[in-house]
Amino acid sequence: MSALVRIRLAGFLRTGRAVAPLLAGLVTLGILYGGGRAQPAEAYGVSAVVLFPVLAWQTKILLDVEPDVQRRLAQVTVGVARERFAGLLAAGLAALVTVAVALLFPWPVGGVSGPVDPGDRSIPVGLALGLWAHLLVVPAAVALGALASRASAGGAGYGVAVLALGGVGAVVLGLTGSVAPWLAPPLMATARTTAGDAAALTVLGLSGWALAWSAAVFGGYLWRRRAQG
Amino acid sequence: MRLENVWLRYHRRGPWVLRGIDARISPGEVAIVLGRNGVGKSTLLQVAAGVLRPGRGRVTDRPARVGWVPERFPADQPFTVARYLTGMARVAGLGRAAADEAVHSWTDRLGLSAFRSVRLPELSKGTAQKVGLAQAMLRPPGLLVLDEPWEGLDAATRELVPELIDEVLAAEGAVLVSDHRGETVRLPAARRWLVADGALSEEASAADETIAVIEVAVPAARVAGTVARLRAEGHQVLRVRSDAANAAPQARPAEPPRSAGAARPAEPPLETAGEPTAEQPAATDAVVAPAAGEAR
Repeated sequence: MSALVRIRLAGFLRTGRAVAPLLAGLVTLGILYGGGRAQPAEAYGVSAVVLFPVLAWQTKILLDVEPDVQRRLAQVTVGVARERFAGLLAAGLAALVTVAVALLFPWPVGGVSGPVDPGDRSIPVGLALGLWAHLLVVPAAVALGALASRASAGGAGYGVAVLALGGVGAVVLGLTGSVAPWLAPPLMATARTTAGDAAALTVLGLSGWALAWSAAVFGGYLWRRRAQG
Repeated sequence: MRLENVWLRYHRRGPWVLRGIDARISPGEVAIVLGRNGVGKSTLLQVAAGVLRPGRGRVTDRPARVGWVPERFPADQPFTVARYLTGMARVAGLGRAAADEAVHSWTDRLGLSAFRSVRLPELSKGTAQKVGLAQAMLRPPGLLVLDEPWEGLDAATRELVPELIDEVLAAEGAVLVSDHRGETVRLPAARRWLVADGALSEEASAADETIAVIEVAVPAARVAGTVARLRAEGHQVLRVRSDAANAAPQARPAEPPRSAGAARPAEPPLETAGEPTAEQPAATDAVVAPAAGEAR
């Protein structure tokens, strides 16, 4: 299956379609960190929120690059389950590369600072919380992007609608006082946690929430793929 | 491999394309899937290959290794021929050395050596089809599914297809092949599956039947369509020739198309192993051997 993951990633990179989401991510991060310095955990929490739609879009592009007939050829060769898992794995790996860029980005541009006040978190703790916040976003974004992909959504219009609704809904439903925060991945709650008191129980709870949401959306993706044939 | 009461439709409320198909193919057997355009031949082949999942019924005992040659090879991919085939060989489970060896062997055999470093989107339709054929054969398949494999191929490669089929059969593999060009006359021992109205019926093998020859006269303008229809119905079109006696003025179009046949009326009849073209005389005789099931 690693060969199929490689061929998927190679197709994504060689078509040049990886450039658009990468540029969008860099521009967004540039705007985010252009306003001044912040504590790492706080800055990374917001970075994870803004990266969510970018990673979902990147996933959709990666999965859509492969022609439908080529995807079927892969199914015949390795089986349906492996073909689907290989696509998700390739998207996950691509998302991790983007996350790595996002984690490194603020340091050369001076977007983050070390502890200033006595109560500020140390840089390693801030980095760890930032890494956690970004890793929480990866499965949720890959799941949303997969659900919006052509093989799942069918028509291009449906895919864009899923992506837009998912991206906007994740922010709107995550606002404080939302009536149905559980309908969205806990991006906003994670950002609030990294900026405030990150108790272990809260971290565990948000991790479970993010994984459960991702699992539900992955389930939807697999169901749609099955229905699409 | 068995198809047991297979039903398939593409949308929940759409019409059934396949309706209760029951079929079985054993190792060492080849079956030709025949039928008119749009009756579900490709759908049936994709169900057999495992590309499509039946809405009802099931497919059992499908061999572990399936080679599928789609009707149109997906050439819109950013790889060279060699890189694509090597990648597909690795996906099929071959090690690096074995993959390189298989790619070299099949590109040589299919006349693709000169195209190894050519990118897939730059290939002609026929060359891309050869790449499709190669990827299906990189690992010897237990089931080879060929959807119109002769489409766009040059004469030398067309001759090679039955050879590849024979090799799969000799290795105890099974082969399913669809064809609307009449190329399957090269497979006289094949079983003949006829798809019509979503159902599958099997005709007796041509090898078991006495063949009768019918001569049919048709207007020249309808030659291509008639030949295609006869072939789709499973008849074997032996040749198409001009018939000056039938080319009466009232039957002749106002201005017959400029054609090789018309320009050379004394030319011997056309052998119709290839596809007839618009270059036909004003009136022609088609010599037809009926489908095996109708020759009794």
